[in-house]
Amino acid sequence: MNDAPINPTVAERANQLFEQQCDRNYARTDRMFALLMAVQFVSGIICALVISPQTWYGEKSLLHIHVWAALVIGSLLSSAPIAMAWARPGTFLTRCVISSSQVLWSALLIHLTGGRIETHFHIFGSLAFLAFYRDWRVFIPATLLVAVDHGVRGWLWPESVYGVALASPFRLLEHSAWVVFEDIFLIWMCVQSTREMRQIAGERALLEFTKAGVEDEVRSRTAELAEQATSLRREVSERKQAQAEREKLVQEIMEVSRRAGMAEIATGVLHNVGNVLNSVNTSASIISERVRSSKLPAVGRVAGLLNEHSGNLSKFLTEDDRGRRVPEYLTMLADTLRDEQELVANELESLGKNIEHIKSVVSTQQVYAGNSCVMEHVCLSEVLEDALRLSSASFERHGISIIRDYEKLPLVDIDRHKLMQILVNVLHNAKQAAGHPSVKVRQVTVRIRVKDDRVRIEVIDSGIGIEKENLTRIFAHGFTSKKDGHGFGLHASALAAKEMGGSLTAHSEGPGTGAAFMLEVQARPMEVVA
Amino acid sequence: MFAMSVFDLIDRQRAHGSDRKTRALACLSVVWLTMVIAAMTVLTNYGSSPGPVGDVERIWPAESEITRKSGKLSLLLFAHPKCPCTRATMVELAIVMRHCREQIDCHVLFMRPSSMPADWAQTDIWNSASEIPGVNVAVDVDGKEAKRFGAATSGAVVLYDQGGQLLFHGGITASRGHSGSNLARDSVIALARNERPSLSEAQVFGCELFGKCPTVATNRVRSR
Repeated sequence: MNDAPINPTVAERANQLFEQQCDRNYARTDRMFALLMAVQFVSGIICALVISPQTWYGEKSLLHIHVWAALVIGSLLSSAPIAMAWARPGTFLTRCVISSSQVLWSALLIHLTGGRIETHFHIFGSLAFLAFYRDWRVFIPATLLVAVDHGVRGWLWPESVYGVALASPFRLLEHSAWVVFEDIFLIWMCVQSTREMRQIAGERALLEFTKAGVEDEVRSRTAELAEQATSLRREVSERKQAQAEREKLVQEIMEVSRRAGMAEIATGVLHNVGNVLNSVNTSASIISERVRSSKLPAVGRVAGLLNEHSGNLSKFLTEDDRGRRVPEYLTMLADTLRDEQELVANELESLGKNIEHIKSVVSTQQVYAGNSCVMEHVCLSEVLEDALRLSSASFERHGISIIRDYEKLPLVDIDRHKLMQILVNVLHNAKQAAGHPSVKVRQVTVRIRVKDDRVRIEVIDSGIGIEKENLTRIFAHGFTSKKDGHGFGLHASALAAKEMGGSLTAHSEGPGTGAAFMLEVQARPMEVVA
Repeated sequence: MFAMSVFDLIDRQRAHGSDRKTRALACLSVVWLTMVIAAMTVLTNYGSSPGPVGDVERIWPAESEITRKSGKLSLLLFAHPKCPCTRATMVELAIVMRHCREQIDCHVLFMRPSSMPADWAQTDIWNSASEIPGVNVAVDVDGKEAKRFGAATSGAVVLYDQGGQLLFHGGITASRGHSGSNLARDSVIALARNERPSLSEAQVFGCELFGKCPTVATNRVRSR
């Protein structure tokens, strides 16, 4: 046995379980005996009816006393145990009544069967059956009754027990000894069985105690986990909220970036318009100056002089010095006025072209000023040309040459506005890089390549180049290497490229080696155009 | 140990109900046990009550139609063919005959009232008797032979010596319908073996051969 100290709670529970098990076993065995009592009652009657139905007096007969005995004594013997098993199952008194009844049933059956030796086995069978109770005390009334029965009958009617009139007292001992012999084994078995039941109850109590401990632990851990889960849910919720706020912020930033990009476009537009307006202003100034310094009043003066000498005009023209110089003067005036007219006409023509240019720039800007994500069938070269047109004045002013390298370009489904935003931004950067005073060869190459459903637009400048470590940082929000930069342009362009399912990357061998920006987007080709 | 059990019983009964109810049940149980024992006593007493005995002849009756076989003891067993107690007598007779077949000339006479049909006596007891080796089975109409020999109860045995002198009379079972070793049976065997018997007469346990007989339990032997 385990020598470990037993928890008092476990010991109490073990005792409780043991008693419960005993009670269940007692009640169950009571019910079995109740059934057996009924069977014995019926068997006794059948026995009496078959073996000794009638007692005879010559040719007359009466119901045999054995039949009455089976009915009366049998009902007496069976009714009490059945009633006790039904009303008071599991009690010791019930067991005592059943035990007594069972051995008395043995006596009755032996009597009814004419003392057959086989019926004596009923006693030993009954004792074995009583062992089902696992309560050795039930053998006490049974054995006492057997002993008393044999003792009294052996004294009063020795023939009925021992078959001899003068029985030896040792016969009583002999008969009782066989009962005691069986009792010893059955009692030993009951004690052993009870001990095992107690041990099982102890183990079960220990198991329950352990299980309860584990369940407590599980409950505790479950509560902790639930708490942690709640905390996690709260945290996840907070994080989701933070994520939503971040996304909202990103959206706002993107909006700001987009607006910044649009502002950049607008700036470019205004810049170009401003440049053209300079020409317009110059042309207007020249025209104004020409008009103010026009020789047209001289015509009036010549006309006044001729009016003054209208009476002798021929004399004046032939004889007077001023008159003789009038034709020559008019010829010279005509030449001058023709020059003036030509100059004004040229300037007006230039003015008209510049105004037309402004109109074109403004209308282009209006085309790309929208904020939609509509996919359109777009000819890439047209968009690129539009982007170039917006910046053409700046390129010209900085003396930057544009080299176009277009493949056969298909119509593609693409977001025109996002593409325009990216191109304007990248071209603006290229213009700034190539237009830097330190750059001698100023050129920007614009290349378009299409492969499968991917379009690659490269803007390669011969400008100041990009530090290696900045090649990725330049796309970060707020990063700029320019004094007047705000760090929105390339960031917004990269985001726009990502939204289009593509990417915007940069490449440079380092400062002074120029840079290339590659826009690669997914665009479904529609058809190939020349 | 038993005392402890009683205390334990009391404790357990307290746990199961009120003391008053338990005491009442215990008293009822004692009453019940007393009634059962009383009834069993009546039954045992009945089983041990012998049947009536007539006037047994000391000398073989001359008017008997049964012929004695010379050189052998003559054993007559008078039986009621329907008496359940007589089954046990047949068991004991079989034992006697197994031991003393050579010494005994045995006749079993089944009483049949003349008013009853011929097969009235053909019962399982008749068959049992017929199956015993050395036994002559016959019908005793109206119990004439039984009356001659003074037998009044089924299972009555009379044993005469070679000279017709009565050696033993009575039943060869210990009680009603109970087979098993008994002094009466052993005495018959002893007489057949020419040994000293324990008994020369015994009580007879069985049904009455001739209607209700108010006077019982006294053995009477007629002398001639």
